[in-house]
Amino acid sequence: MSNIESQIFSSYQRNPDLYDEIYDSNGNIKDIYQKLFDIYGEHSIQDYINLNSKAKASFFNQGITFQVYGEDNVQEKIFPFDLFPRIIDQEEWDIIERGSIQRAKALNLFLWDIYHDKKILKDKVVPLELITSSANYLDQMNGVNPPGGIYNHISGTDIIKHKDGQYYVLEDNIRCPSGVSYVICNRTALKRALFGVFNHYQTHTVTDYAENLLEQLESVKPKGVDIPNCVVITPGMYNSAFYEHSYLAKTMGVELVEGRDLFVENDFVYMKTIKGPVKVDVIYRRIDDAFLDPLEFRPDSALGVPGLFAAYKKGNVTLANAPGTGVADDKAVYTYMPDIIKYYLNEDPILNNVHTYHCSRPDELKYVLENIPELVVKPVDEAGGYGISIGNRLTKEEIEEVKKQVKENPRKYVAQPIMSLSVHPTYIDDTESFEQRHVDLRTFTILGRDKEFVLKGGLTRVALKKGNLIVNSSQGGGSKDTWVLKNK
Amino acid sequence: MWKEYTVTYKSDNVYDNWVHDAYWQFLIIPVENETQKLLEFDFANSIHCINQYSINGFGFDTIKVHPKKKFKQISFEATFKVLKSNESTPNENNFAKIETSLNEINSLNFKIDFERYLRETSLTALPKQNKGIFKFESNTGIFENLLGLNHWSHSHLKYIAGVTNIASTLETILNQRSGVCQDFAHLFCAVCRHNQVPCRYVAGYLNHESGYLGNSQMHAWVEAFVPGSDG
Amino acid sequence: MLARVANNLFWMGRYIERSEHIARYMNVNYFSSLDAPNQISQDRQFVLRFMLFMVGEPVKDSNKTLIEEDVLFRIGVDTDFASSILNNVRYARENANSARDLISTELYESINKFYHFVLNYPKEVFVKSGLHDFTTNVTEMSAILRGKIRGTLLHDSVYAIIMMGVNIERSTQITRMINSKYNDALLAQGSYDDAFTKSFEWTTLLKCAESYDMMRRYYKKTPTSISTLEFLILNPNCPRSVMNSLNQFYKHVKILNPERRYNKESTAFLIGRVRAEYEFKYIEEIEQDIKSFIENILRSLDEISNKVDEEFFNY
Repeated sequence: MSNIESQIFSSYQRNPDLYDEIYDSNGNIKDIYQKLFDIYGEHSIQDYINLNSKAKASFFNQGITFQVYGEDNVQEKIFPFDLFPRIIDQEEWDIIERGSIQRAKALNLFLWDIYHDKKILKDKVVPLELITSSANYLDQMNGVNPPGGIYNHISGTDIIKHKDGQYYVLEDNIRCPSGVSYVICNRTALKRALFGVFNHYQTHTVTDYAENLLEQLESVKPKGVDIPNCVVITPGMYNSAFYEHSYLAKTMGVELVEGRDLFVENDFVYMKTIKGPVKVDVIYRRIDDAFLDPLEFRPDSALGVPGLFAAYKKGNVTLANAPGTGVADDKAVYTYMPDIIKYYLNEDPILNNVHTYHCSRPDELKYVLENIPELVVKPVDEAGGYGISIGNRLTKEEIEEVKKQVKENPRKYVAQPIMSLSVHPTYIDDTESFEQRHVDLRTFTILGRDKEFVLKGGLTRVALKKGNLIVNSSQGGGSKDTWVLKNK
Repeated sequence: MWKEYTVTYKSDNVYDNWVHDAYWQFLIIPVENETQKLLEFDFANSIHCINQYSINGFGFDTIKVHPKKKFKQISFEATFKVLKSNESTPNENNFAKIETSLNEINSLNFKIDFERYLRETSLTALPKQNKGIFKFESNTGIFENLLGLNHWSHSHLKYIAGVTNIASTLETILNQRSGVCQDFAHLFCAVCRHNQVPCRYVAGYLNHESGYLGNSQMHAWVEAFVPGSDG
Repeated sequence: MLARVANNLFWMGRYIERSEHIARYMNVNYFSSLDAPNQISQDRQFVLRFMLFMVGEPVKDSNKTLIEEDVLFRIGVDTDFASSILNNVRYARENANSARDLISTELYESINKFYHFVLNYPKEVFVKSGLHDFTTNVTEMSAILRGKIRGTLLHDSVYAIIMMGVNIERSTQITRMINSKYNDALLAQGSYDDAFTKSFEWTTLLKCAESYDMMRRYYKKTPTSISTLEFLILNPNCPRSVMNSLNQFYKHVKILNPERRYNKESTAFLIGRVRAEYEFKYIEEIEQDIKSFIENILRSLDEISNKVDEEFFNY
């Protein structure tokens, strides 16, 4: 043990106030991490630096990069990747998996309902204003029956582990959740760099995602189609997630198309091939609702296909995810998730929701105003981590400013207790050592006709800036390979 | 009594540059319901591009045109033959009792089912200071209130062509107290919705009798839903 | 396969091939000129002008003195010059990007590495002392790409489209090189009687086409105008010959459109027609009027390229 400590973990500092995933409550390394810890511990810092740069080169050569536009040149950068994996044992994974499916199913039923009979509104479980005030509610989807009854074919659920050791859902993403290709790339990179460690663990594969996705897409084919022709539609190679789009098309063995490769004739969709038009039945779309069809939504969209929505509405093509799903994944609906699950499935939520105070309700507003230092205050309609005030980081003056804003427009704000994201040892380039960094987890759930699947792994995102709680890649986040163990 | 009407639209479009890959979606096919039947129609364009019959996002019938060849000039001509009934207008006896209908429009279920026709839009938003510009009486029926609103809006605004455009808001219209048919319709909609009565904007042609010819503008009016009515 | 993506693959093939040709004739011309037997072939200005001619930037003003470092920079690594090697590799990669789901990971990784190599090559080193190293690496990396194309792709329509691009580009480049060297040989006639037919430029030409050694083995004589042209144009076994490129092109276009019926509108018909013309040609006929021959073949290649566009990419 002492030998190990003298090597790469020797300078690892544990902050006792944080929940460190590799230690148990007595301060000992958890059993499932012990072997990993030993193996990594055998490496000197220099070894590790070499491995790390090799892994980076592997990402770079595979072209898994995003572009940074500088003053006079365009630079390609890789997404920061950490070589120390996160391990989730079978027991905990079971909760995450069942919880993710439960949420995805409840959201799907919720979407069907609010685009049909709207029973949940009539039964006063969810207020009408919540839906009608949402910019993502699509009137055009009223009464549309998506094939197989599925709206959110692919859901990304953002989950954290709080310092109480419990998992909490922070957000559901059911428009075009991205990141699954990084799960697979992280695994590949780790295998290339440190294949030896896999000998000691029974880890679930993550490469079965594409086959499950294809099976799901085929299961929601339009009526009357025998063998469906599925495609992936991308905004194009300059989109930051283009690598993912091409990866998914390639591993499913389907065409990767752009809007300009498709056309609609008599409400059927075709793609332009070297042998003429070929009918398209199922489209996994990675472009937003507003850009899908310039005849129906934004007329200036060059990314979409004119007439696509009419073809969809007539049931001649399937879109995954369905248009209009965005109404169900905003922060305001999130706060009702426990009620939504209960209403449709008559089950208690398996994964916790972070308790939410609605400033629109007078008693809750009062609590919020009195307890700002213990709360995170968020506007309900901002994405990407903007406009968030974290109570214990604010000065007196700032607290007053937040109070003022909330009082002026209480409907615009919700507040939640400050969640303490768990931390995980992460290699930091600048200090050439491992340090604690906050992590979350995005799971990927697939719903099809009589089919459900959760990728056994998911994307662990790391907030690379010290003390930062926000793990979005737009705010300087990295990622880690995530292992789900087959048995303990 | 049914009467037959023929409506013809013409449009000539000339462009300075070649137009490639154009798309049109025409929302001009008259609806069919118990008061009007479409007998026949014809739609053609000068470059012989085929019509694709489709629907828009709300399920209304549309015609889509997508020329495969480039062009600088294109004209369209559509002719519709419509049979229209001149059934008498409804009166208060057609509707439920005052109390029943008020209860209904104030119920949550009603508000949910008719949400789309009660929602304030950018063109039907009453300015803050004008929210109470016309109040419905609670002791008279909804239908009478609508008639009242109709009279009021005609006296409140003056019909002047050209003082507004398709993007004019009620703020402007109420300030200048003038406008054209679409502005009257927007004001009617706004007040109607503000008083919880669902309604929608309709575009169409007015019967000018004895064969109106020339460059006639489309007319606009409002359809409102009064609870307790059959349709 | 999507028509747009087919177009991308075709051009990917063309750009890879083009980068290699530019790199090779920069290398061969520069280094063989250092100890060339006559003054004109040794003249640096002459060599630089040839390089610029080959990338489609002929210098019209014959009195202008070219600066070596500027010319090398421009052709090799200038980001603002559309025909530089750097931009050719960039275009190859961009085209590969759009077709990324259809090509193998191995091929994509190689193209990507190739691009980063060219992009990050220190530009000052290149213009002062890196010409040999840089161009050798470019030709070798292109050879690796050819290997990956052949060895890691399914030999179906994706492969066929890429090979069509490679072969049409190869025959175009070879023909343009012949064109340019023909002009040089005319200019470089020295004190020998038989100056044109035995010009040193024919040797350079063969080296530019990586065919010198094989040509010597085949003819067992010093290259002359007639034997060089015969070898590079008509010999179907010389991998760089126009004839071989046309044969390859024909073979691959049949994978895309295997129909056998008479269809004079098809690409296969057109290429078959062009091929038949050269298959039964005497080299003496060509030598009588090289100039019109070259014009003819360039026109035919252009027509073929347009035909491919019309038949397969036009949407």
